[in-house]
Amino acid sequence: MKKGQITITVTIGLVILILTAVIFIQFKTINQTDITSLENMREDELRTEISNFKTKIEEVNGQIKETDATILEYQEAINSNKQASELLVKELEKQNNLLGKNDVQGSGVIVTLTDTRAQKINSEDLRTLLNELKLAGAEAISINGQRIVYDSYIVDIESTFISVNGVGLVSPYEVKAIGDPTYLESGLSKKQYGYIDTKLEEGKDVTLQRQDNIVINKYNGDLNMEYAN
Amino acid sequence: MIIIAIVIGCVLGAIIGLNAPTISYTYSGYLAIAIVAALDSVFGGLTSVLKGNFNLKIFLSGFFGNAILSMLLTWLGVKLNVDIYLAAIVVFVGRMFTNLAIIRRYYIEKWSKKEVKEEIKNENEKKTMG
Repeated sequence: MKKGQITITVTIGLVILILTAVIFIQFKTINQTDITSLENMREDELRTEISNFKTKIEEVNGQIKETDATILEYQEAINSNKQASELLVKELEKQNNLLGKNDVQGSGVIVTLTDTRAQKINSEDLRTLLNELKLAGAEAISINGQRIVYDSYIVDIESTFISVNGVGLVSPYEVKAIGDPTYLESGLSKKQYGYIDTKLEEGKDVTLQRQDNIVINKYNGDLNMEYAN
Repeated sequence: MIIIAIVIGCVLGAIIGLNAPTISYTYSGYLAIAIVAALDSVFGGLTSVLKGNFNLKIFLSGFFGNAILSMLLTWLGVKLNVDIYLAAIVVFVGRMFTNLAIIRRYYIEKWSKKEVKEEIKNENEKKTMG
């Protein structure tokens, strides 16, 4: 073989070697590269991506605004709920006061009825007194600590004691009433036909006392209705 | 002999290429253009071998020169914001097809000439037999 031919053969072999090596490097590079990753994107692809992201950001900003508005609405609703619940609490307290389920205090009178040797105080005396007090505008009444509520009852138990709200009471009976003290006092102590004068005439011991700060305890029993709806 | 060299070169090149480190994706575009240019030179060389005017210097200078020039053009295209590499690809691939056509025609003509010769031979044999 000629020397020139060997040179040509070797050179062509080398050239083919280089070409194949480069081609395979390129194959490997393309295979291993993650085309979707940002670092490997071409410029125009990056541009598209950026504009996509801008659109997305705008969308998200819009969503944020909407969400903020919703949050604001909810907060307003919460505030109005708070107001409503405050109103409800006030209303509940008022109703409880009316029902006698709260301790109340205020100015009023204390009427004390005591048994004497001659006369015993009976339930009729107390019922009349209650009516008189209510007529004079009493707002809260209790007898020996027993609060008078809408279903309270006052009955004699075999003339030994008086049952109020199912609790037996004995003399002296201390009747507390909160209301306008002047009305209460004048209502009870009318001349001759007034309650106090009548009872004193019957020989029963009745005393009346004005007081500025009377505390009347709440009703201890249950207030339930079973049949009335 | 040359065919053996080409086969050895292909195998060794594949092994080297598979074991070589990968290049950055950014430059793979340049490499691709260089590969196309080199392939074009190879086909051009094959054509010239068939035509009988193969020159090693022309082949080598074309092989490396075209590759480097196409890479430079691509780089220039990136700088000018023009896709020059498209022009390079069109030219090189077009020439590859042309060269392939020449090679194809050469071998087809050669093969058909052989057939014709054999037919003539057979006829001659028949005549001598007869």
